[in-house]
Formats: sequence, C-alpha cells, structure tokens
Amino acid sequence: MAQQQKSSQRRSDPRLKKCPFCTAGGGAKYIDYKDYPTIKPFVDYFGNIMKRYYTGVCLKHQKMLRTAIERARFLAFLAYRK
Amino acid sequence: MPELIATGEDTRIYECAILTTYPLPQKDEAALVKEVEGYFEEVGAKLVSKDAWGRRGLAYPIKGIKEANITIYYYEMDPLKLKEVDQSLKIAKGVLRHLFVKPPKHYQVVKYSDAYEQWLKERESVDQKRTREKQAALEEKVAAKARRKVQMKSTEKKAEPKAVEKMSGEEVTKSIDKLITDDLDSL
Repeated sequence: MAQQQKSSQRRSDPRLKKCPFCTAGGGAKYIDYKDYPTIKPFVDYFGNIMKRYYTGVCLKHQKMLRTAIERARFLAFLAYRK
Repeated sequence: MPELIATGEDTRIYECAILTTYPLPQKDEAALVKEVEGYFEEVGAKLVSKDAWGRRGLAYPIKGIKEANITIYYYEMDPLKLKEVDQSLKIAKGVLRHLFVKPPKHYQVVKYSDAYEQWLKERESVDQKRTREKQAALEEKVAAKARRKVQMKSTEKKAEPKAVEKMSGEEVTKSIDKLITDDLDSL
C-alpha cells in the first residue's frame, strides 16, 4: 500500500506524453491559423504559447504551432497578452 | 472539398485574409469589397474561392475597433505582382489587417460555416468522451478491487489444502511404505 501511495503522488513521466498532432490521423502536415479550437489549448491564460514540456508536442509540430499562433495573433483571432 | 492546384506555370495560389471595419453603412461595405477585389483584378488575379466569415469580435482592439468583417480569398496570381496588391491593401482605408499565406501542398479549402458545424458535433463527442473516461476509470477501480479480493481468497485456499494433507497421516505412512518396498525390490 505504501508503494501505491508513493506512485500516485509522483508526477507522471513527461517522456511518456505523446504528441497530439502526431497521434491524430497519422501526423498533421500543416496547422492552420484559422482553426481556433485546435490552437486554443496550446495557449495559456495569459496568451503565452505553452512549453513543449507540458503539452508533449514534438519539435516539428511545435514549430508549426508557433507560426500558426503568431499568424492568428496578428489577425486578432488570439490575444497577444491578457 | 476542392483542392488548390495552380493552372498556369507562372502563377501560384495565395490565401489572403482581410479584416475590414465592421460598423459601416451597407453601401460603403459593398464599395469596400469591390475596392479590395479590384486590387486583385488589376493585377490579373483569378478568384479560386472566397469565404466570408462575416462579423467577428477581435481578441484585441485594432485602431480602437473591436469588431471586424473577415473574408478569406483564394487567388491564383503571379508571385511578382503580390507586392503591388500588398502595398495597395496597406494603403486602403477600410482594411484593418491583411495577411498573405501560401497554402501548403494538398491543402483543402474548408468553409468556416462547415468547420463550425463540424466543431459543434465534435464538441458534443468531447463531453461524451469525458463521461466515458470517467466511467472507464470507475470500472477499472472496481475491477482492481475484485482482483484483489480474488487474490486474497486464492491465498486462503492455497493455505487450506496443505493443512488437509498434513491431517491425513495414514495415507502418508502408506505411501512411504510403498516407496520403501519399491526401493528394496530395486536393490
């Protein structure tokens, strides 16, 4: 029992997280800046782009996501700063 | 959905998002749309598809304006003449923002209204997913409890038969006797 309690308190291994863009439909080739619902969860309350460490996005898709978010910010679909 | 493929050799397809000021009289609105489309026509661009999102609130005010009319054009045109259009759109009075993007290969145009409808459907399924996940977690908990109970019972059962074997002393002595006789025969 003591071991079980310890494992539940411990944070899950960040290496076990999988990229949500890679897993859905055999890998996204492009992330659209017009697609608000897909971009939104990767922006925090203050409007910052979430770190890869927390979301588990792979580097390739994080770069795509960054361009998409920056374009959406320019067109005022997303806020720069809350 | 139509896929974007340029027909000419020297032309390319561009996606242009344009935000225009919303609170405008209808006459001016129509004139503004004509003006914007005129810039493209001057250069000899061909309209592939047009998607009018309509009025939408902005995430932050631009020039003190909080709402904008959003339209997305797909034009096929000469890359060399993109700059002219860009310049004239910058100068145009009613245009708040504009953005040219070269869509990637095999990009499929999805109308905003269709995307929204699909999102509405999927959103319901997201709620269902949550409930499903909750139920699955509960079931797993129950199953784990049941497994633990079964394990406890099995350990008890294992302990019992050993005791029974110990109790039957007569059988043990008989078997030992048999073994001894076998040993004697073999010798």
